[in-house]
Amino acid sequence: MSHITFSDVEVTYKGGLKALKGVTLEIPRGQFVVIVGLSGAGKSTLIRSVNNLVVPSRGDVAIEGRSVTRATGKDLRRLRSGVGMIFQTFNLVKRSSVLRNVLAGRLGAVHPLRGVLGVFPKSDVALAHDCLRRVGIPEKAFVRADALSGGQQQRVGIARALAQEPSVMLADEPVASLDPPTSHAVLRDLKRIAREDAITTIVNLHFIDMAREYADRIIGMRDGLVVYDGSAEDATDEVFEAIYGRPIDEERDLRGRT
Amino acid sequence: MPRAKPDLGLIPAAPANVRRTQWLLVAVVLAMVALAVFFLLTMNLPSWSRVQTGLERNALPLLRGFVNPEWGVFELASRAMLETLFMAVIGTAIGGLLAFPMAFLAANNLLGSRLLAFPGKTFLVGVRTFPEILFAIIFVAAMGPGPVAGILAMGINSIGFLGKIFSDVVEGIDPGPSEAIRAAGGNDLHVFFYSVVPQVLPEFASYLLYRFEINLRAASILGLVGAGGIGAPLIQRLQFRRWDEISMIMIVIVVVIIVVDTLSSSVRRRLV
Amino acid sequence: MAVPDPVTDSAAPLRPTYAVRLLNWSTWAVIAALFVVSVRQTGFSLDGISRGAVDFVRFFGRLAPDWTALPQIWAPLIETLQIAYLATIFGTLLGLPVIFLASRNTTVNGPVMWVARSILTVLRSIPDLLYAAILAPILAPGPLPGVIALTIFTMAVLAKLASETVESVDPGPLEAIQAVGAGRNRMIVYGVLPQISATLTSYVLYIFEINVRASVVIGLVGAGGIGNLLNRYLSFFDYGGLGALIIVVFFVVLAIDQLSVWARSRLI
Repeated sequence: MSHITFSDVEVTYKGGLKALKGVTLEIPRGQFVVIVGLSGAGKSTLIRSVNNLVVPSRGDVAIEGRSVTRATGKDLRRLRSGVGMIFQTFNLVKRSSVLRNVLAGRLGAVHPLRGVLGVFPKSDVALAHDCLRRVGIPEKAFVRADALSGGQQQRVGIARALAQEPSVMLADEPVASLDPPTSHAVLRDLKRIAREDAITTIVNLHFIDMAREYADRIIGMRDGLVVYDGSAEDATDEVFEAIYGRPIDEERDLRGRT
Repeated sequence: MPRAKPDLGLIPAAPANVRRTQWLLVAVVLAMVALAVFFLLTMNLPSWSRVQTGLERNALPLLRGFVNPEWGVFELASRAMLETLFMAVIGTAIGGLLAFPMAFLAANNLLGSRLLAFPGKTFLVGVRTFPEILFAIIFVAAMGPGPVAGILAMGINSIGFLGKIFSDVVEGIDPGPSEAIRAAGGNDLHVFFYSVVPQVLPEFASYLLYRFEINLRAASILGLVGAGGIGAPLIQRLQFRRWDEISMIMIVIVVVIIVVDTLSSSVRRRLV
Repeated sequence: MAVPDPVTDSAAPLRPTYAVRLLNWSTWAVIAALFVVSVRQTGFSLDGISRGAVDFVRFFGRLAPDWTALPQIWAPLIETLQIAYLATIFGTLLGLPVIFLASRNTTVNGPVMWVARSILTVLRSIPDLLYAAILAPILAPGPLPGVIALTIFTMAVLAKLASETVESVDPGPLEAIQAVGAGRNRMIVYGVLPQISATLTSYVLYIFEINVRASVVIGLVGAGGIGNLLNRYLSFFDYGGLGALIIVVFFVVLAIDQLSVWARSRLI
C-alpha cells in the first residue's frame, strides 16, 4: 500500500475559488517529492490537505489507508502528530526558547495535562536535544527563538517536526525566505534526515534547479491540476516551461544557483 | 521509527541565568499563592453556614425579582438615567475643557524641561489618585445633595485623568512638523496652532469619549452617596431588597451603557 | 514620464465631500445641543457653584486630621488591600478562559464565542460599586461580597483590555502547533500565552491599581474595607477622623499607583 494517497481531491475556497480541481496521486513510503508551480497553482493547498489544515471539499486524502480528510477530534490529532510540517515563515514562538519550541513537537504525543503544564518526560527532553544535534544547532537550545538567523530558525522548525518522530514531513516553501547558500544547506539537511529516518517528504519549492537537485520525484502543478509527474532526470527545461506557462530566459531565471 | 531512543544521560543542563530566571518565576508564583491563601485564612470572611443562610434568604427572591423586572419603575428609571447621562456629559466637558490647558502645562516637550512640568504633573497625580466617590461625599456634605455635587466630583477626577493622558499625547507628538514651521519662520504660537493642536486633537477627542464612558458608569453610582443620578432610587430599593424594581433599574443602566459604549467605540475608531 | 501634478493627479478629493462636511457639522450640533440640555436639566450653574465653593472651602477647613484615629484606620486599610489583591488574582484566573472563549482565534465555535462575548459585554456595563451594592445585602456585609464583586469586575475589565491583544497574535505559531496534533488548550498555552504574557502582566498590574481604588469605596455599601470606617466617620460627623482617613488613603493609593507604573515600565 502506498503511504500517502490523494483521491480526486478538490478544494474550493469560500467565494468560489477552486484551488485544487481534482488531484489523484500515490506517494510511496520514503519518497522525496518536490512540488513546483506558480503561486496560486495549488501547491500550498495540496500540502495542507495532507494534515487537514485545509479540508478538501471533495475527495479524500489518506495516510496508510486511514483517511485524514474525514478524521476529527482525537483521531485527527493523532494523525497530525505523525505528520511534521515546516513553514516558509518558520512559525516559531518567538519569545520562547529554542528548546521549548522543539518540545512543542511533542505536544501531540504527550498527555494533554502534561502539555498544558509544560512538563515533558525526560525522554522527550533528550529527544528534543537530539533533534537539535541532528540539525546542527545543539548549542542554541536555551536561546530565545527570535535571536537566531533565518536559516537557524528554519532548522529549529525542522527539529520541531523531527521531535514528532513523524512518518511524513511536509515543507511549504521552506527556503523561500532564505538566501541561496542557506537554502541549499537547509534542503541538504532535510533530505539527509528524510533518508536516515525513511520519512516520506513533500516539499514545495520555487526554484527549478533546487527541485532537480534534491527531488526523487517532481510534481508540477498549474491552476489546481497536476500537469507533470515524473523523476527529476526527466524534468527538462521544456517541462518546466509547460508548468510555469512561460519560456525560461536568462533574465527571468527561475533557477536558484549557489 | 528506525532510530534508537537517545541516551538520557546526554541531556545538557540549562545555563545558570536561564535556571535562575525559572526559579525566580516559580518563587514569585508560589509567593503569590501563599499570600492569597494567607489572606483568605486571616480575613474576616463569614462562615459557610452564614453564607448559606444569607443565600437561602435572599437568593430565591433575587432570582425571582431578576426574571420578573417591575415595569412600573421603568419611567422613573429612565428619567433618572437621563439625568445620569446629562451629569456625565457636563462632568466630562468640564474635565476636558480644563484638562486641555493643563495638558500643555504638564508636558515635557512643550515646557522645555522635566522640572517645569513637575508641578503640573504633581497636581494631576494628586487629583487623579483621589477616589471620585470621596470627592462626591465631600461635595454633598459641603453643598448639599443633588447632581451638581456629582458633576463637580466627576469633573475634578476627569481633569486628573484626561490631564495626564492628554499630556502624554502632547509628549508623544512628532517633532517634525514643529521643526518645519520654525524653519519657515514661524513663532511659538504658530507652532502651537499649526503643528501641535492638529496632531493632538483626534487623540484628545478619542480619550474624551473614553472618559465619557467611564464617567457614565461613575455617574450611575454617585447617587448612592446622594450625588444625583440613578444611584438615588437604587439605594432605597437596595435597602428594602425590592429585587424586581432593582432589576428593572439595572436593565435600564446596562442598556444605556451598552448603547453609549457601542456608539462611542465606532466614533473613536474613526477618529484615530 | 512627466512629473505628476499633485493637484490634478491625486486620487483623493482635495476638499471633503458635501456629505462628510454635513456629518461633521451635524455631529457638532448634536454635541452642543446635548450640552445645553444637560445644563438646563441638571440645574448646573456657575453661580451656584461659586456659592457652593465657599461652603466647600470652609468644609475642607473642618477636615483637620485627628491623628489619634490612626490605629483605627490600619486594620480596615489592610483589609482593603487584601480585597483588591484577591479580586485581581481570582478575576484574572477566572477571566482568562472566558476571554479565550470570546476571541475569534482561540474559541471553540461560533455560538460559544457569541455567548462569551455577550456575557462579557453585560458584565462590563455594570459599575463596580453596583456589584458590591447588590452582593452586600445577600452575602452579609463584610469583605466577601467585596471580593466577589471586584472579581467579576476584574474579569470584565480584563476582557476589554486583553481581547484585542489575544486576537492580534501572530497566527503562524498557532498553525504550527495545530499541525503538530495539539488540541486547543495546548495551542493556547504554547502559542498564545508566550506572545501576550508581557502585555497581560501589564494589564493585571493596572487592574490591581483600579481595584485598590474601588475597594476603598465599596465599604460604603457594606462590602468591607475602609469604606465602612468612612461611613462611620460620616454618620458621626467625625471630621477629624475623616481627614486623617482621607490623607492615609491618598498616600496609600498614590504609593501603589507609582509602584504599579514603575513595574509596568519595567515590563515593556
